[in-house]
Amino acid sequence: MTRRIGLALCLALGACATAKVGLLPGEGGAPAGAVAVFDPASGAERGQLNQPDTETSLGGGPVRPRPLTGAYDALLAAMPAPAQVFTLYFIEGTTQLSPESVPTLDALRHAITSTSDVQITGHTDTTGDAATNDRLSLDRATQVREVLVADGLPVSNARVTGRGSRELRVQTGPGVSEPANRRVEVIVR
Amino acid sequence: MRSTLAAGLLIAASLSTAAAAGEIGRIKSVAGAAQVVRGAAVTPAAPGQLLQASDVLRTGPDGRLGITFVDNSRFAVGPNSSIALSTFEFDDTTHAGRSLTTVNRGSLAIVSGQIAHENKDTMRVRTPTSVLAARGTRFVVVVP
Repeated sequence: MTRRIGLALCLALGACATAKVGLLPGEGGAPAGAVAVFDPASGAERGQLNQPDTETSLGGGPVRPRPLTGAYDALLAAMPAPAQVFTLYFIEGTTQLSPESVPTLDALRHAITSTSDVQITGHTDTTGDAATNDRLSLDRATQVREVLVADGLPVSNARVTGRGSRELRVQTGPGVSEPANRRVEVIVR
Repeated sequence: MRSTLAAGLLIAASLSTAAAAGEIGRIKSVAGAAQVVRGAAVTPAAPGQLLQASDVLRTGPDGRLGITFVDNSRFAVGPNSSIALSTFEFDDTTHAGRSLTTVNRGSLAIVSGQIAHENKDTMRVRTPTSVLAARGTRFVVVVP
């Protein structure tokens, strides 16, 4: 009964569109992945979209993929760019930037704007004990923030963490000097 | 499996009002009329504005928003939308977390991030008639 009234209303108003979900091609050639649809009350899976440029209505029935309709260019134009990651390398046991990372630091300076969300994470190699490495990794990250702040960039509230030698870029045993692991990763969103 | 999922949905719903304060993302771009509703406070959306769990995004007939989240997921919100950031939990270190976004009305394009990448079906979108889970991907949701 309610459904019939709803149908009559939407015919009268010319607004019969139902809610829908559409799967787009992955960004930059990435695989499309999938979107699953569940019943909100039971949690039962109604099916999924796993082909790019398909859509299904969300009216309550099973998922029935069909070709994507509608234009999403205007909507997607508002999508922010992907996060950028900058990796800066350091001289062993110090917070001194390695000379080859100077161009990366310059690129980082140019990437940060007034609306950027900046996350700075320091790392060490496996030489030295854990406490020393935790401190050194945080010192490296803090040093990068201070350099950027000194340049007048709005990163005084950036999240700064030190991960010690927990997250190696190149896997090594303990006590190994590895330049690729002595680094600060800066994510700019 | 199904009952586990249903229980998960219930937990997500019950936690949505008690989510921890803290930055979960920020507004990158604003076009036209758009507001952020936080509790009883309504503020005009502005680029750089920080967002918290439970915030509601609203856009007018000409409104659009671009948003980035701390797990690297991203939203584009279209005109005439009302979208609640109901739940957002993310551990920077493990990349584990979960999010629930409620599309009451309007259009939303999503690029999923580390939450969806780390554990299956942890990034969810609720519409009036369905719950969606991102399985690693870019998609649009339209609720007229």
